[in-house]
Amino acid sequence: MTKHQITPILQLNNITKKFGGLLAVDAVSFTVVQNEIFGLIGPNGAGKTTIFNMLSGLITPDLGQINYLGQDLTKLQSYQIAQRGIARTFQNLRLLGNLSALENVLVPCNVHHKTDFLADFLGLPKAQLAQKKTYSKAKELLDLVGLSDNIKQQANNFSYGDQRRLEIARALALEPKLLLLDEPAAGMNTSEKASLSDLIRQIRDQFNLTIILIEHHIPLVMSLCERIAVLDFGKLISLGEPEQVKNDPLVIEAYLGNE
Amino acid sequence: MADFFNTYGHLIISTLFGAMLGLSIYLPLMAGQLSLASPGFYSLGGYIAAILSTQFFPRSEGTYPLHFLGVEVILSAILSGILAIALGILVLRLRGIYLAIATIAFGEIIRILALNLEITGGAVGIFGIPQPFDIPLAYLWIAIPLLILVMFLVYRLEKTNVGLALRAIQVDELAANSMGINSTKYKVLAFTLGAILAGIVGTISAHFLNTWNARQGTFDSSIIYLAFVLIGGSKTFVGPVFGGILLTALPEVLREIGNIRLIIFGILIVLGTIFFPQGFITPNLLKKWRK
Repeated sequence: MTKHQITPILQLNNITKKFGGLLAVDAVSFTVVQNEIFGLIGPNGAGKTTIFNMLSGLITPDLGQINYLGQDLTKLQSYQIAQRGIARTFQNLRLLGNLSALENVLVPCNVHHKTDFLADFLGLPKAQLAQKKTYSKAKELLDLVGLSDNIKQQANNFSYGDQRRLEIARALALEPKLLLLDEPAAGMNTSEKASLSDLIRQIRDQFNLTIILIEHHIPLVMSLCERIAVLDFGKLISLGEPEQVKNDPLVIEAYLGNE
Repeated sequence: MADFFNTYGHLIISTLFGAMLGLSIYLPLMAGQLSLASPGFYSLGGYIAAILSTQFFPRSEGTYPLHFLGVEVILSAILSGILAIALGILVLRLRGIYLAIATIAFGEIIRILALNLEITGGAVGIFGIPQPFDIPLAYLWIAIPLLILVMFLVYRLEKTNVGLALRAIQVDELAANSMGINSTKYKVLAFTLGAILAGIVGTISAHFLNTWNARQGTFDSSIIYLAFVLIGGSKTFVGPVFGGILLTALPEVLREIGNIRLIIFGILIVLGTIFFPQGFITPNLLKKWRK
């Protein structure tokens, strides 16, 4: 274990969210440390995506705090959270469908590479230079996820697997410290899943990321994640290393039911 | 030629104003915001011109000094801008049709105020707004450069990073937010630009029309401006320009066929929406022309 792996990057403290009478997330607390790949699993409706939505500021928790590098995320808007380095993908893809793949990646690129609006507006050389830089950065990211062809194509026209990878490239363009992947392997075949696993490890090392991953494909989660949290009906029922979680009677009960 | 301009000069200038009013609806639409506030700001701009030129600026013999008109335009732009920022922050939380309704309400407030205040001349309005030119046709020298300038500004805006952010918000505001875009800021910006444009057009129109009253910028004109964009095409800035010119000119060009002209005008709008749901001018069409 290297030293920085023990530094916490994200702490959920007693997070609770109700939707009407439904307790979607019930007093969940866990800590994610820097540079780890952290799995969030559980049966459908366990509250996994709800946690992601609270982490990315789309909804606010009713109770509890989310501490990210010393800041309380519950008080921030989603764009502020994104600007502070938490990027996400969506379970049911939210690409900008009629924009090109390249433009999809350029949008978050521009958040960090702020150009002087007037220079940009007038098309001055320094703005053109800045634009060239963000273009090549966007192209690099598209290369990385394996989408170097057809980058001028509308995002809509890409295959499902490619759209998922495009979402990852777009999230990386935010230059995040923490990346939230919501079912990145959904709809992928076996070989695509294998290369996705490699890609996730590669981007973690290359960009020094911490990754939280929601995934239903258990073999992928078990092989990829260093620690796993298991949710059931909004409650955290197990937390630990894959082996530990796999043999936890509570987890087995949640997935398979008891005798 | 001279005959043509004498007959149609007034109409041509009106069509250019129509094109700009179409663009004033198009600007907030760039960020996906259906705002019908343009008539309200158009009316406001007109009253600023009417009040300043008839009550505050010294009356002189001969034509109205152009630099006074310049001061009115700048003042309208500033006032419309400030009002739009305040109004935008309030109403841009609303989406879709609800935003449209709230902005219509704003236009109604302006209209009711204009009807009841003394300074706006009540129901009668303000007469005898002074002319900066000897002949009405000379308004072309303002309208043409202004339209070209506005079109160029919108064209450039679409090419910038701000333009890209606006498109992102138009497609999916939630996704845009989670990519670090402060959508409220950009929506207010697009709304404010549209309001400033409508205010400026109103200011010049007040002089051009010579009189200004509460019948300017009412609810039905908001629907007409929206038709400029929908018929012309809402996906490129050329659309509202084309739509504004076409739909302003059509009722006048059809005047010769008598009273059924408004029926034909209505039928054309219906047919247009059926056969050109994206509007006449689409980005694909422009690409084809370029080739």
